[in-house]
Amino acid sequence: MRSLRDTAIARIRIWYARRHGVDDLPVKIERRRIYIVPSRFGLMLTSLLIAMLIAGLNYSSNLGLAFAFFMTSTVLVAMHHCHRNLLGLTVDVKLEVDALAGSDAVFFFMLRNESAVDRCDVEVRLSTASDSPRKLVQATRSVAIGGYEEVMLAVPVMNRGVSRFSQFELRTTYPFGWFRAWTYVQAPLTAYVAPSPAGNRPLPAVAAASGESARSESRGEEDFAGLRSYTPGVPLKHMAWKTLARGGEASVRVYSDLGARPEWLDWSSLDGLDTETRLSQLSRWIAECESGHQRPYGLRIPGVDIPPGRGPAHRWRCLRALACHGTPPT
Amino acid sequence: MKLAAPTAARVTYEQLRWMSVCLALALAVHITSLPLWLLATIAAAIAIRLALSARGYAAPSLAIRTIVAVVSIGILFLRLHTFNGVVAGSALLSLVAGLKLFESQTRRDLYVVALIVYFLSLAALLTSESFWLLAYLLAVSWLTSAALLRLTHSSQSTGWWRSARYAGRISAQALPLALVLWLFFPRFDGPLWRVPSDSRSAETGLSDTMSPGDITDLALSDEVAFRVHFEAVTPPAAERYWRGPVLHDFDGRTWRRSVALRSSAPDLTPVGPAYHYLVSLEPNQHNWIFALDWPDQWNLSDAYLTSDDMLVRPALLSHPIDVSISSHTHVQSAQPLSEVMRRRDTRLPAQRNPRTQQLALELRRTHADDLGYVNAVLDLFRRQPFFYTLEPPPLGPNSIDEFLFDTKRGFCGHYASAFAALMRAAGIPARVVTGYHGGSYNRFADYWIVSQSDAHAWDEVWIEGHGWMRFDPTSAIAPGRVEPGSDRSLAGNARLSGPWRQPLSWLSDARLQFDALRQLWRERILRFDQRSQDRLLSSLGIPDPDGEKIAMVMGAGLALVFIWLTWQIRREQRPDPKDPVLRAYGKLCRKLAAAGLPRRPYEGPESFAARVAVERPDLGPRVGALLKRYSHLRYGTNRRTRTERWFIARVRTFKPRGILPGSKESRRG
Repeated sequence: MRSLRDTAIARIRIWYARRHGVDDLPVKIERRRIYIVPSRFGLMLTSLLIAMLIAGLNYSSNLGLAFAFFMTSTVLVAMHHCHRNLLGLTVDVKLEVDALAGSDAVFFFMLRNESAVDRCDVEVRLSTASDSPRKLVQATRSVAIGGYEEVMLAVPVMNRGVSRFSQFELRTTYPFGWFRAWTYVQAPLTAYVAPSPAGNRPLPAVAAASGESARSESRGEEDFAGLRSYTPGVPLKHMAWKTLARGGEASVRVYSDLGARPEWLDWSSLDGLDTETRLSQLSRWIAECESGHQRPYGLRIPGVDIPPGRGPAHRWRCLRALACHGTPPT
Repeated sequence: MKLAAPTAARVTYEQLRWMSVCLALALAVHITSLPLWLLATIAAAIAIRLALSARGYAAPSLAIRTIVAVVSIGILFLRLHTFNGVVAGSALLSLVAGLKLFESQTRRDLYVVALIVYFLSLAALLTSESFWLLAYLLAVSWLTSAALLRLTHSSQSTGWWRSARYAGRISAQALPLALVLWLFFPRFDGPLWRVPSDSRSAETGLSDTMSPGDITDLALSDEVAFRVHFEAVTPPAAERYWRGPVLHDFDGRTWRRSVALRSSAPDLTPVGPAYHYLVSLEPNQHNWIFALDWPDQWNLSDAYLTSDDMLVRPALLSHPIDVSISSHTHVQSAQPLSEVMRRRDTRLPAQRNPRTQQLALELRRTHADDLGYVNAVLDLFRRQPFFYTLEPPPLGPNSIDEFLFDTKRGFCGHYASAFAALMRAAGIPARVVTGYHGGSYNRFADYWIVSQSDAHAWDEVWIEGHGWMRFDPTSAIAPGRVEPGSDRSLAGNARLSGPWRQPLSWLSDARLQFDALRQLWRERILRFDQRSQDRLLSSLGIPDPDGEKIAMVMGAGLALVFIWLTWQIRREQRPDPKDPVLRAYGKLCRKLAAAGLPRRPYEGPESFAARVAVERPDLGPRVGALLKRYSHLRYGTNRRTRTERWFIARVRTFKPRGILPGSKESRRG
């Protein structure tokens, strides 16, 4: 039963994807892309309405009929309101996110309500129809008049690689739970799932340092390499105060070896291990480099060569390279 | 007992409470038809569940729930013996709703309660005709929808009043749609199938026996028995005798109906004009239709005349009905009275009322002619000191003797009874007719109100060569001998008292106007049927409507309403055009569009600003600042009027034409 339903849903999604194509983000939800069906509760209510109608006719009670028709009309109007709850909503999403295997890939959605009515209980749903069992994450938000709402959906990711979601769903049963209106947004959501850190090999530089112990004493003899423009967060001692005093713009002295020689995290240094183990080890080294000492690090894996650097952006750049390893580019 | 884990699907105390309130409001209209113990059980179940929920506990365990459910439904079935029919069905539904609330843990349980509330409301309306009940139940269903809104709406931050308002808006928008459906939905004449009719508990109105001696204080209510609209000619007051049960069997004290047979061929020749009228009957405990003396045509297929010319129908009048009747107030019968009927209507208990029989014999000796005898008896009432009172002294077994010779006080029943007895003692066939006489005219809507206080009794006497003739001995009482305050039953005399008959009082006018509204409600709404639909359609210019035409009109009506609805929803969809910030933003966009920078529909203020910065670096900073301020104003948490004014003023002075579009190239060149 379950699998039948899943198959049906998958079919609908494929048909939908073919009908609408890929959306340009941000998407403003328009009329023709909203679908609406009665919920289970709505079906129960429908049979009740039929019973009411028959009772009213059978008793020739005009008041009974009036009430039955009032209820029927309320249901029809509620259908309009349910449909309207999605209509004109603007949705945007951050298409590419990074994650570590075994944790969550967090997608950021932005719901924006530019109309003059509140949008209540809009559910953002992300599911992978292809996977079995079906993974589904959802979050429900209300968006006030003229306001916006950020929705974070954390998709648990187990395996390294690139997880792609071709669409996500906005759904609502507001106001009374009698109907379910939904729309699919065709957006290539991608989660770059980096390998989780594992392995116990020492860092290559550490390994090299064991033979070259005098290396650390050469600190302080950095060679001045030039100036670059100021960015916040640079240590004060690296500021080019003289330039500033002369009336030039704030600059930072750049040394040829800021802190230390770069650490090269190299695929080829891990001979004899299989691919995933190698990638996990590289991931661990990246984590160690980020948390441990102050030296920049670069990454060399087949096809990718990332020059040395530091900081979160650099780290995720390296991790994304690890995540993409061996997966065909889109 | 375990603590309730807070999950989304689990109901909160607040949700339970509101649904309980809605159920209680729906049950309130069934309070008279439901057994007391049942109401107590439901109330207890709800109270226990609410108390548990308020302390954070989940519903009672499955075992308890099952036992309570099985026992209470079992008892209900043992008491009622059936679950069929409106009363039994409502009782069962109410109990199920109570039990469902008792065990409710998830939203789905409360959904079921909501459905039952809707159906209980309908069940109350099936047997009612009250406008107020309809209004009340529409309000209850609105509240139930609001409770559902609270139930589905997961973010509980919104106030109760906002939910109620939104549900109210939806309900209000449903009204025109409901009206179209109601007007054009096809109606059927009879029921689709028979359902057991529930007899009403309260007895009011006429009964089918009359024992004047028993009653010492005739309680006359102002409750309306029926309303009458005369089509062309209104009969004079003295002719407005509304025929009810005809009583034949007399045991010396009590008059009873005999077995009412279906009339064979009517052998009556009408005399005088025919009156056409529409009787709107209130429900009574019997199957009687009150018509003027001698009805000969009516539009109710299952109604028939009894052998004593009373109009009845096979089923009890549990619902108000309207009947079009035409009647004559005088008839002539060529054929002689059948021997069976003559014997029945001359029978008197021999050993009772000896003095009356003596008097009859004496009078008969001097008046051999039947009509002469009748007049002599009426003269007797007129001349002797008979008094009309609503508080007559009690009478013994020889009630007629005591009334005629000792007390000489009574109301219509006493006079009709004594008169008939005197006729029978003289060998003249006579019968007592009960019914109503007179009525009060509602000048606001041209109809007559006949109420229970217009109940009356008179006689019909068989005069050879004429047939049955109506005589009203009560009207022979001289007006001076009517006791003050007791002239209501002499309405034929057109003396006015009582609530309907205070011509100078504004209160009475208000009552009449209110009654006219009720009658309008009844004619236009309650009695709306296929014929009314046809009339409505022909007034819309569609003669001879058939099913197809009705469907087309209904389709057109529904389409119109849906267009209106869509328009309504679209309108509220659009941002408020009166918002000054929004207007300023619109102006800014128009100015930029005029400068060759139209905002694309999918662009928000920020992305628009980014594009402007790329395409027109000269305008970039200014436009960027404005748009940034706009998006702060619009999407930020708080709006400050100063910032608003700044934004509006800056937009007004903004001129994108500082550098003409295209001048970028010329500058380069």
